[in-house]
Amino acid sequence: MSYREDNHVAYENEAVRLDIREKVTGKAKYTTDYYPKDMLWAGYIRCPYGVGQLRSFDKDAALKVPGVLEVEITKREGAYAGDRMGHICAESRQAYEAGLAALNAQFRSGFAKTDPKMEMTPLDQIQQPDNLPQANKVLEDAAVVVEATYQTQVQTHCCLEPHIGMVDFKGDHATAWGSTQGTFSFRNDLAGTLGLNNSDVEFHCEYIGGGFGSKFGAGAEGTLAAQMSKKYKRPCRVGLSRKEEQLDSGNRPGSIQMAKIGATKDGKLLGGRVHIAGVVGPTGGGGGARNPSRYNFGTVATTHEDVHLNAGYPRAMRAPGHPQGVFGVEMMMEELAAKLGMDPLEFRLKNDPHENRREMLKVGAEMIGWNRRKPNGSSEGPIKRGLGVAVADWGNGPGGATVTVEVYPDGTVVALSGSQDIGTGFRTMLGDCVLHQMGLPRKFLKVKVGNSTLPPGPASGGSVTSRFVAPKALGAADQARQAILKLVAQEWQTDAAGLSIADGVIRNGSREMAWQQACRLITDDRLTFSSSEDGAFRTRPTDSDAVQFVEVEVDTETGIVRVIKVVALQDVGQPVNRHTVENQITGAVIQGLSFALFEDRTLDPTLGAMVNADMEYYKIAGPADVPKIVPVLWISRDDVSVNSLGEPPVIPTPGAIGCAVFNAIGAPVRQMPITPARVLEAIAGMEGGRA
Amino acid sequence: MKDQRDTPVTPAGGGFSRRGFIKGVGGAVGVAALGTVARGQDEKEPTGPIKRGGLTIYPAKDVDITLNINGQDTKLHVLPSATLLEVIREQADLTGSKEVCSRGACGACTVLLDGKSINSCLTLAVDAVGKKIKTVEGLSDGDKLDPVQQAFIDHDACQCGYCIPGFVVRSRALLDEFPNADSQQIREGLSGNICRCAAYVRIFEAVGSAAKGGGA
Repeated sequence: MSYREDNHVAYENEAVRLDIREKVTGKAKYTTDYYPKDMLWAGYIRCPYGVGQLRSFDKDAALKVPGVLEVEITKREGAYAGDRMGHICAESRQAYEAGLAALNAQFRSGFAKTDPKMEMTPLDQIQQPDNLPQANKVLEDAAVVVEATYQTQVQTHCCLEPHIGMVDFKGDHATAWGSTQGTFSFRNDLAGTLGLNNSDVEFHCEYIGGGFGSKFGAGAEGTLAAQMSKKYKRPCRVGLSRKEEQLDSGNRPGSIQMAKIGATKDGKLLGGRVHIAGVVGPTGGGGGARNPSRYNFGTVATTHEDVHLNAGYPRAMRAPGHPQGVFGVEMMMEELAAKLGMDPLEFRLKNDPHENRREMLKVGAEMIGWNRRKPNGSSEGPIKRGLGVAVADWGNGPGGATVTVEVYPDGTVVALSGSQDIGTGFRTMLGDCVLHQMGLPRKFLKVKVGNSTLPPGPASGGSVTSRFVAPKALGAADQARQAILKLVAQEWQTDAAGLSIADGVIRNGSREMAWQQACRLITDDRLTFSSSEDGAFRTRPTDSDAVQFVEVEVDTETGIVRVIKVVALQDVGQPVNRHTVENQITGAVIQGLSFALFEDRTLDPTLGAMVNADMEYYKIAGPADVPKIVPVLWISRDDVSVNSLGEPPVIPTPGAIGCAVFNAIGAPVRQMPITPARVLEAIAGMEGGRA
Repeated sequence: MKDQRDTPVTPAGGGFSRRGFIKGVGGAVGVAALGTVARGQDEKEPTGPIKRGGLTIYPAKDVDITLNINGQDTKLHVLPSATLLEVIREQADLTGSKEVCSRGACGACTVLLDGKSINSCLTLAVDAVGKKIKTVEGLSDGDKLDPVQQAFIDHDACQCGYCIPGFVVRSRALLDEFPNADSQQIREGLSGNICRCAAYVRIFEAVGSAAKGGGA
C-alpha cells in the first residue's frame, strides 16, 4: 500500500485528454449541436403544479400557429410539476414555442404533498424488523447512545447538456443522436419505439454534456422524437429546457435518517435502530440511502420507507444512496465520538474493519495535519476552524465488453468501443491502455467511441466503464502487438519471443525496426483484433475505497461555511491517465461540497411547483467556492487491474464537511444543505443548552 | 381539496425564462415604437428598420441583418426577437457556444462583442449589428490555437466539455483586461460561469498559466 506524491501513474502519465482539442475549440459536436435540414421540434405540455387538473386549452389556436403540425393532449390529471400532459410538434423552434403559448392551457391546482415529514409513516406504526429485540438489547447494554435524525435534501443532476434525443427515421432504418450514458440502451429503446431491429438504428453519442446517472435509456425525449420522426418522415429533435430539466429529468432523492446507536465505553460500536425515509416521486420507489454501512455497526435493526411527494421522480445519481447515507453515518460517528470523549479518527480506526481504509485514514490524517485538531467548538475567535473525515467503499466486479483494435499498414492503430465518454475520460483511458500494451506513442493512435455500430460495451453506471473495458483493451492490444512482432520475426527469420516494442521501435538484440516500417509488412487492408474476455488482464482487483479529510472555516457571526482544504485519498486500482483521474476526483469533491452546502430543490409548500427550477436560485458551487484539493492516487497493490473511479470520490465529501463543521462550532448541523441559517440555529441551540 | 384556483400556464410548463422575456419585449417595443413613427408619415407598413434618436427600431417580423462574426460579414434573416445565441448556433452553424440556463446564470453562451465578454443568450441578434462578434470558433486559426485554448489542453481543463467554450471565451476576455491576473482575480473573473463536472481546479491552473504572471 502506497502513494506517490507526484501521482505518477503507470500507463500514459502526462498525456493530454484525447478529445480536449475538439472541446476547447468548440468543434466537438454534441447532440444539441445538430440542426439537420427539415428538422422538426417537438416537446411536452407540462403540468405547472404538484397536483394539476387540466381545465381548458385552445387546441385550434395552437394548430393555427404557422408551422405547428400536431397538438395532442394525453391526460388531464398531473401528479407533479413538470408532469407530461401531451405534446406539440412543429417545424421550427419558434413555431413550437408560439404553439405552446397559443394553447393557453389552464390548470386548477389541487393539494400537493410537499413535506416528507408530514407524509411519512410515524416510526411506531412501521412494521418492526425481526431483530428489533436484539437491537434493543444492545442499546440497553451500551455505555453511550446517540439518538438523532439526519436529513438530506433533493439534489438535481442539472447536466449542462439537457436530455435530448434526435431521430431521423428512413423507413427501414434510422440514424439517431442522443445525450446518454448508454449508447446501446438508448438505441434499443429507440428501435423499440420505431419498430425496427436494433441493428437498423445507427446511434451516435460521440460527445455528451454530462449525465451523472440521469441519462440511461431514450427516456421521454427520445421516445417522442422517434414517434414524431416516424410519423412525419423527417428528423425530429426533442430537447428539454433548463426548467424542464430541473423538474423532470430525475434527482437524488432526499432522506430522513433516524438513528439510535450505542457503543461501549471504550468505543466499540454495538448497534441499534435505524429507520430511513426516502423522499421520492408521486409513485414508485428509489429512495434508498446506504446507512448504516462501512463501519462494524454490530446489531442494527433497519427499516426503510419511500415517502411519496407530488414532485419529480428520482433517478440514479452519482453513487445512488451513498453520499446521503454517509452524511448520516459519519455525523452519527462524530456525535458518538464526542459523547465518548474520544478522538473521532481513533473511533473510526477502531470500528473500520477494512485494513486498506485504515491505512488510508492514517496517511490522510498526516496529510491534513489531524494533530492540529482542537476539541469541538474550542477554536478561538468568531471564525472557527474545524477538521472532519469520512470514508466510502466501492466494490469492483467484472462485466462484459468488447474492444477491437485495428492496425493499418501506415502504422495507424485504431481502438474501438461503442461505450460513451460522458466526460470521465473514457476515450483517453481506452487509448492509453492500448498504447501501453503495444509500446507505442500517441501519434499512431485514433480512438472511436460512442456509436452503436462499434463493438458493444457497458453503459456508464456503477462506475463500470473503465473496469469492464480496460482488460479487453489490453487483451486486444496484446493480440495486435504479438501479430506485428510475428510479422517482424518472419522478416528477420527469428523467433518472435525474443522481440519487444517500446516507444514505437521493435527490437531484437541490436536490431531495430520502426513501428511504421513493421506495419508495411501487413498485406491486408488492416489487421483486426477483438477481445471480449478479461483473461490475464483483470488482476487482483481491490475495492475503490475513498477517504477524505476536510478542513473548514465557519464564521459564527454569519453562519457561512467555507471549505478550506480537502485531502482526497482514492484507491482506483491501476490509474491509467493522471490528468483525467485527478480531474475526476477533484470534480467529485466539489460536487459533494456543492451538495453539502448549497444545492436544494425547493418546492412551493402548497402549489408543489419547484420555485428554483433554474440555475441562479438552484445554487451550484462555482469558482469562488472551490477549496484547495489534494487528490491522492492510492495504490493498494502494484499488480492491481483498472478499477472504478467515477462515483466513489463523491461519496465522503458531504459527511466529512458535516463533521468538520461540528468540530468547528461544537454543535451538529444535522440537516443538509448546511446553510448559514442552520449553522446559526445549531450554535444558538448549543448556547441555549439544547445541544 | 383546498387551495384550488385557476391559473393560466405559460409556455413550456409555466414561468418566464429571461430569454422569453426579452424576446417578448423586443417584439412589442418594435411594434409599438414603429407604429408611432409610421403614423402620419406613410400609410404603408414599413418593411425595414428605422433609425430614430440613436435607436434602431425593427418591425415585429423577419428582418435582414448583417452580423460580423469571427471577422466575416454574414447576412442573416432573423426575427428581431431572436437572441444572438440562437442565431449564431442555428443559422450561422457555430455551435461551440452552448445554451444551458437561457438566462445568464451559467456563462456557457459567452461570446466577445467588440472584445467584451457577454452572455449571448441575453443579447438580441439585432443589437449585435455593427459590432464585432467573436465566438470560440474564432479564437483559433486552423491549427493555431489561442494561448488560453492551449493552456486548457495542457492542464486538462475540462471534463464533459459542454461549458468549456464559455470558459475559454470568458478567460480570453479576462486576460485581455487583466493580463497578469492573479488567482483571486481568476476566480472572481470566472464566477459567471458554471462547470457541473466541476473541473475548476484544472481550469484555474490553465488560466493561471496563460496569464503573463503565471496566475500566482
